[in-house]
Amino acid sequence: MKICSGTVSLKSLEMKSSGSYYAWQKQLFVLVVIVVSVVPLIIISWTASDYYKKSWLQKTSLELSGLAGSRKEIIDLFLNNQENLLSGFTNLYSLEYLRVQRNLEKLFRAMNKSGVIVDLGVIDHRGRHLAYVGPYKSQLADKNYAAAEWFGEVMQSGRYVSDVFSGYRNEPHFVAAVTDPAKSWILRATINSELFHSLLASAEVGPGGDAYIINRAGELQTPSLLGAKALSAEELAMLISKNGTAVRLTEKYIYATVPINKGDWTLVLKTDINTSLAEFYMARKRDMLIIAAASLIILVVAILLVRSMVNKIEEADKKRMAMNNRMRQVEKMALIGRLAASVAHEINNPLQIITTQAGWVDELLDDEDKKQLKNYDEYRDSINKIRGNVKRAGEITHRLLGFSKSNGYERKEIDLNQLIEDTAALLANEAKAHRITLRYFFEQSLMRVITDASQLQQVFLNILNNAIDAIGQDGVISISTRSNGGHIIAEFADSGPGLSPDSIKKLFDPFYTTKSPDKGTGLGLSISFSIMQRLGGDIKAENRKEGGSIFTVMLPAY
Amino acid sequence: MNDIKILLVDDEEDFIRTLSERLEMRDLKSNTAFDGEQAISIVNDQEPDIIILDLKMPGIDGMEVLRRVRKSYPNIQVIIQTGHGNDLDESEARQLGVFDYLKKPVDVELLVERIKAAAKAMKLKDSMAAAAFAEAGEHDTARKMMKG
Repeated sequence: MKICSGTVSLKSLEMKSSGSYYAWQKQLFVLVVIVVSVVPLIIISWTASDYYKKSWLQKTSLELSGLAGSRKEIIDLFLNNQENLLSGFTNLYSLEYLRVQRNLEKLFRAMNKSGVIVDLGVIDHRGRHLAYVGPYKSQLADKNYAAAEWFGEVMQSGRYVSDVFSGYRNEPHFVAAVTDPAKSWILRATINSELFHSLLASAEVGPGGDAYIINRAGELQTPSLLGAKALSAEELAMLISKNGTAVRLTEKYIYATVPINKGDWTLVLKTDINTSLAEFYMARKRDMLIIAAASLIILVVAILLVRSMVNKIEEADKKRMAMNNRMRQVEKMALIGRLAASVAHEINNPLQIITTQAGWVDELLDDEDKKQLKNYDEYRDSINKIRGNVKRAGEITHRLLGFSKSNGYERKEIDLNQLIEDTAALLANEAKAHRITLRYFFEQSLMRVITDASQLQQVFLNILNNAIDAIGQDGVISISTRSNGGHIIAEFADSGPGLSPDSIKKLFDPFYTTKSPDKGTGLGLSISFSIMQRLGGDIKAENRKEGGSIFTVMLPAY
Repeated sequence: MNDIKILLVDDEEDFIRTLSERLEMRDLKSNTAFDGEQAISIVNDQEPDIIILDLKMPGIDGMEVLRRVRKSYPNIQVIIQTGHGNDLDESEARQLGVFDYLKKPVDVELLVERIKAAAKAMKLKDSMAAAAFAEAGEHDTARKMMKG
């Protein structure tokens, strides 16, 4: 559309470049929210999980060593019982009595109600097997033990318990032997150690755990629950180095050890950390899931919140920027107004002199003899041109003075619809000549407006003139009025080509025009702008989506 | 028409002199003043019928001249001819009862037309006043006025 002068669009340019700024702000805010909420959540869960693991291990270690202690008591009690029983018999019966096969058999039967004693033998101080009750009579009847290691030990200390060995029936056994108080003969029994096995098998060491007894050399005295034939070198080194009551933690296992059988053996309970921590790992997995879900929720909420917040800020910024631009324009117009008024005044006086002098020359020419004056017609023509251009300059200065109209405007109640119709009527002929249709969409019950009708009319005239020039030939100008809150709004939409980006920027600037110099001074819209500011209203111009431009005039209602 | 006394007041001497000559060519006699004080003394001496008055002048400005003239000589018709387009000035001048308010540059034909209109209005005013005097029986005064 062709226009005379404008502001509007500085802001649209500034907005574009600031789009990335707001996107960056959003990212920053979201990042901050993550750092202050999600990160602590993760740290807390991590330390809690670590603490949880440590306390779990501690608890499991305690349980394991407790278990080892209770098993030790049972085993030691059992061993003591067997030993006490044997030494009780040596006190009770004489060698002479027990070396009689029949008497020993009687004792074996009485002793072996529980079935743990496999055989029973009597050996004199020289190692001779004097009597024997048990399944290996033929093999052992005449055996001399004088050279056996255990014989020497029992003769010296009065008691002996062997390591566990597998007997002929592949049952675990061990041998217990005691001497009489005078150490003159020995009562020896082979004891089934199946009991140890069942005691250990029932120990709750968890899946992947183990329980066994080892001797001082680290040899397994009971079968490993896991079926291991021997200790690994690593375990061996660890377990026999210190065979007191202890709990050892390795990467994979917890070992609880306790000495039994007066320190000859060590009971080992071993639990698999990973399997015993399975519950913990499950709990931790669940916690992680909860934290992940919480983090996700925080993230989503943060993004939504930040987006709406930043959008609001952006909107407010846009509004403020638009307002600033508006204020800048208003200030600019006020300054231009003052400048224009003083310049116009200074120019009007010389113009007056030029036109008067030119007129004077014109009149004096009347006295001259046309025939004697060679360039008579040229003078006349020149004078007319001077006067014509003075008139043109005068029109511009008078329009410039339009900026400085200050407070002295009328305030009368007006019918805005009527005023628009009257104004449009002034241009009806021109519109008709260009085959332009004027359409009115008036709100009939418009609110009252108290304003200066003639100044407002000037604004409408400018807008309509521009619209007609913009359309050129064949088109429609739609004028609508409506009340909106405390404002009355009049909109002038034309079917012209719309405003160029440059026009939108400079539309309301004085002397900005897209028309030829003889058609427009570029002052119409800038004066309209100052008029609307004076009347407490506003004017703006936009392009319509459906093409053409739309000028909106806003006035406060009363 | 040639018995109308016109006073031209403007600080642009070239303009005033030329204008005076041009008016004379149109059978309009005029006197000239180049500032406010001069204008007031001429008004006091000669009591012109019509004053063409510029507003912006050094010393006593046009508006002040207008006020004093209005006060002492309510019958004098004043036409403002100014380069100052301030609408405040215009409304003040119109309130003080100027015949017209012209904005420079003014074509001499327009000025002459306004002078004639002012003279006509003045005469009309006089004749109405004369009629009023006649009605009141003061025929001498009335006759004198008509003749003037």
